Amino acid sequence: MRDLLRRPASPGPLADLEAAAEPARDTPVAELELVALDLETTGLDPRRHEVLSVGWVPVRGGEVVLGGARHLPVRPRGNVGDSAVVHGLTDDALASAPTLEEVLPEVVTALIGPGPVRRVLVAHFSRVETTFLGAACREAWGAPLRVPVVDTLEVERRLLRGTPHAAGAVRLDACRVRHGLPRYRAHSAVVDAIACAELFLAQCAVLEERLGRPVVLGDVRS
Amino acid sequence: MEVELAEVRDFLAAHPPFDSLPGTVLDELPTRCTLRYARRGSLVLRAGLTNDRLFVVRSGAVDITDGTRLVDRVGAGGCFGMSALIEKAPTRYDVTAIEDTLLITIPQPYVDDLLEQHEPVAVHFAATHRERLRSALGQLQQPQRGSAVFRTSVRDLLRVTPVTASPDVSITEAARAMAEAGVSSLLLMEHGRLVGILTDRDLRRRVLAAEVSPDRPVREVMTPDPVTVRADALALEVLLEMTGRNIHHLPVLDEHDAVAGLVTTTDLVRLERSNPVYLVTDLERQTDVEGVVRLAGRVPRIVDQLVQEDATAADIGRVTAALTDALTVRLIQIAEAELGPAPASWCWVALGSAAREELALAGDQDNAMVLADDADPSHPWWGMLAERVVAGLEACGRERCPGDVMATNPRWRTTARGWRREFGRWSHEPEPDAVLAAAIFYDMRPVHGDTALVTALRDDVVALGSRSELLLAYLTGQAARQRPPIGFFRGFVLEDAGEHRDTLDIKRGISAVVQIARVHALRAASPVLPTSERLAVARARGVLSAEAATDLIDAFELMSYLRLRHQAEQARQGLTPDNHLNPSTLGSLDRRHLRDAFQVVRSAQHWLTTRLPQVP
Repeated sequence: MRDLLRRPASPGPLADLEAAAEPARDTPVAELELVALDLETTGLDPRRHEVLSVGWVPVRGGEVVLGGARHLPVRPRGNVGDSAVVHGLTDDALASAPTLEEVLPEVVTALIGPGPVRRVLVAHFSRVETTFLGAACREAWGAPLRVPVVDTLEVERRLLRGTPHAAGAVRLDACRVRHGLPRYRAHSAVVDAIACAELFLAQCAVLEERLGRPVVLGDVRS
Repeated sequence: MEVELAEVRDFLAAHPPFDSLPGTVLDELPTRCTLRYARRGSLVLRAGLTNDRLFVVRSGAVDITDGTRLVDRVGAGGCFGMSALIEKAPTRYDVTAIEDTLLITIPQPYVDDLLEQHEPVAVHFAATHRERLRSALGQLQQPQRGSAVFRTSVRDLLRVTPVTASPDVSITEAARAMAEAGVSSLLLMEHGRLVGILTDRDLRRRVLAAEVSPDRPVREVMTPDPVTVRADALALEVLLEMTGRNIHHLPVLDEHDAVAGLVTTTDLVRLERSNPVYLVTDLERQTDVEGVVRLAGRVPRIVDQLVQEDATAADIGRVTAALTDALTVRLIQIAEAELGPAPASWCWVALGSAAREELALAGDQDNAMVLADDADPSHPWWGMLAERVVAGLEACGRERCPGDVMATNPRWRTTARGWRREFGRWSHEPEPDAVLAAAIFYDMRPVHGDTALVTALRDDVVALGSRSELLLAYLTGQAARQRPPIGFFRGFVLEDAGEHRDTLDIKRGISAVVQIARVHALRAASPVLPTSERLAVARARGVLSAEAATDLIDAFELMSYLRLRHQAEQARQGLTPDNHLNPSTLGSLDRRHLRDAFQVVRSAQHWLTTRLPQVP
């Protein structure tokens, strides 16, 4: 409470995001401004692990807009450690990159659509994206990140409800195979963001078929 | 810029026409694209709506239909939506996802840029099939490299200036001139023009044997107005003509009708050993069927060589027909030597592709005999000769006709009067079989014997047929029925109902064009035989548009060429040549060109069904 009084509330991009309108739950997905976003991290805990890159791509009018795709490498404070094996990102490659604090304004700005309106963040297992970005916002501006979120993993669980499925069945690659989407050779933040965006379009197509009406935000929002 | 879009970039770079784009354009291309998803069964484009983008299938597949008919099926790497973009008009097609499908879309302005700046993209998306077929044929066949067979014109055979004299010199003077020059023939010239020819044989037969005084002017014993040939005529055809007519000396004229030289049968020896003319001269020396069959074994190698040399299918068809004619004539001569002379005047007739001079390596024999009206068709000589020749051709690799349209069948071995009666049958019992029989009359060419019998017969039936709406309607229905496939899908042949086949029967497409051309030529009352010439006649007479005729000629050439290439390859491997192409061994470009050819045929058939009366 005292912190809130002492610090200015959410300056810069975060304040703009706060000021932007929240999309209504009954907005059809086709009319929504969305951003599929993926973080490459050294682990799952924002207090112990680091962000190594951020990738995103806008989704608008039922289409993935490749021209808006962005990929920002991030310089970690510590060592990359074992996760370099997973991501193929080495310390050297990241040495010249900006820090998370430096890229954060661009990331947050990408979450504001024309209007202005808050864009819907789409991610697979979104807890990684929301907790890491939330922690970074708190640290930078002393305020949380508040955006509507669609988690494609949750959507897939709902689509699979009632049908028996293995533990790995909701991993991004497995979900994509289920929806007839092509396999991507490489993994990076932006490739996974695009992969997630495509999965989201496929899930909406299935949902629309099941519901017999256009899918609205309330149908998919976490 | 964004190397992260490499997945999309590399995908596009692997598929035509984007594979032709320079790297820098490919790097940028993905940033202009969006991705779209279509659930199985959902409509991607609806006929009548405007479309402002080009679609590339990233994964999955779509069916393109014109409301009722399947027009195309497009899988990963294929494009659709282009026709509406180019025509700047609402799309005419429904596009439905038949699998869960991910689509890359490129907006119109950027597509326009690509079309404008990159020729291969423009050719790929050409609004018509014409340009694509033209360029395909250009790539397949490079006539400038051409075959030795087709490079050799009569002009190439001319060596020395012919010895000439006035027709007013005496026979003695003429003979002396020939002896001094050491030649066996003399050209007689008047006012710079050729008026006659005198040969050693003439001196023997018309002077010495006839006891004509050597003081008489040579004009009285020369052969006046001799058969001549143009200098640019194909050596092969001229030499076949000479052996066929038993002429040994042939004056050659240039484009101004001036004498350019003289060609003799001995000029043959200077041709390359691989020249098919050798086969013909070797045939002359064969006295039994075994020898003829042995020489026939060379035909596939000659065809293979011509394919390797990028000769056109039309030219190869002519050579193959000429060689088959020569084999047939030799077989007839050998049979005649054994059976004795024919009891009456008659003519051996080639039917079908042999008549049209469009022979491939596979295929059965179709032939017949036309006898003079005073001949007795029941005389055993006819049947004995037919059986020997047909058996000989069979031994040469031409299978017997399964439909029994051969000279061995008494129905197709009758008098000219009998043939005319046969032709009239369809008008009394207009049924599919009778129509098929009537069609035989239009693809008929005399090979050996009294050719006038056949020429007169054909003149009559072509004139009669061209006036018969009923026959034309039957033939039109037949030509429209046998539709080629739509194209290819995932290495299979795509058929009308959407089913897939493992192999492509290329003959279906080829014979569809043959039938279309036959109908058009008959409507124009033209007696010409080769398919491309028939289409040209139909174009010249306004029966067929110039575009449609050119498209069909190109489609026919492309399909025929790919068939010959396939068959030559099979023959080289010791396999029996057939008409079945394996889509997975065809190059992607060949598949694409074939698809264009099929579309040309299909639209020509569509035109027939909508514009001309027909009986199905």
